[in-house]
Amino acid sequence: MSRPAIRSLTSRALRALDRIAPPRTAHAHCDIPCGIYDPHLAQIAALTVIRMDQLIEALGELPQGASKADADKWHNSFSRYVAVKEEHAELCKREVRVIWGDYFKPEHTEKHKDLHATVWNIMKLASKNRQEVNAQAAQELLAAVHTFAAAFWDTKGVATKKQPSNQAVGGEIVVPA
Amino acid sequence: MRYVVEGPSMEPAFRAGERLLVDRLAYRRRAPRVGEVVVLRDPERPDRYLLKRIAVAPPMQPAPQRGQYFVLGDNAAVSRDSRAFGPVAREQIVGRVWRRY
Repeated sequence: MSRPAIRSLTSRALRALDRIAPPRTAHAHCDIPCGIYDPHLAQIAALTVIRMDQLIEALGELPQGASKADADKWHNSFSRYVAVKEEHAELCKREVRVIWGDYFKPEHTEKHKDLHATVWNIMKLASKNRQEVNAQAAQELLAAVHTFAAAFWDTKGVATKKQPSNQAVGGEIVVPA
Repeated sequence: MRYVVEGPSMEPAFRAGERLLVDRLAYRRRAPRVGEVVVLRDPERPDRYLLKRIAVAPPMQPAPQRGQYFVLGDNAAVSRDSRAFGPVAREQIVGRVWRRY
């Protein structure tokens, strides 16, 4: 700013006041209501976490006395599975968070009173899936995202059904009926 | 009144996080003018406030008369404003942005 010396005293006083009584928010929002939301990607991300747990399980232990080339190969696969698990658990959180924050309105949560708890559960479960190789936690994450997806479509008056993912991972996804 | 800016729709003139003093008495004396930056109640969500610029004002208006104002964000591409919610009534305008602090 151009006049810091003149501004400073009043400014400092006002900012001190802000700390006691916060200012109101004047929204200059990037609120383009594009209105396109879909919980599909969150479910794919949760399925990917399950798949990575499966691949890590299938990889087994590094054989004793493995050659350097074989050990490199094993470590490379293991690292990639963990990296993708991390990435997709985080993607799952992000997708759910955006729909939860940008799409859901108070009137929706009046009907779906457990929505906030479901989202909170998803955040916790996704983090648990990053911290651990835990097939059960991965299934719980998918189940929670199913609940979230069903609630999302319900707010639009769209009935849902569960159908097989038809992917190597198995499992189901919630889609409009 | 003290306000803090949130969001990019008034960039580059006003950036997120900037603190503003808003003169709530400004429009008791006279009508809002084109080009002035104002805080107004969000017509679609009355519990919150928007920061916009007056783009069109009713012509030749005596101060006490109530009219309709067209408000726009400076950063049109990312702004939800009168293009979306239509013109706003004078009573919805809280005040004029007076200075930063």
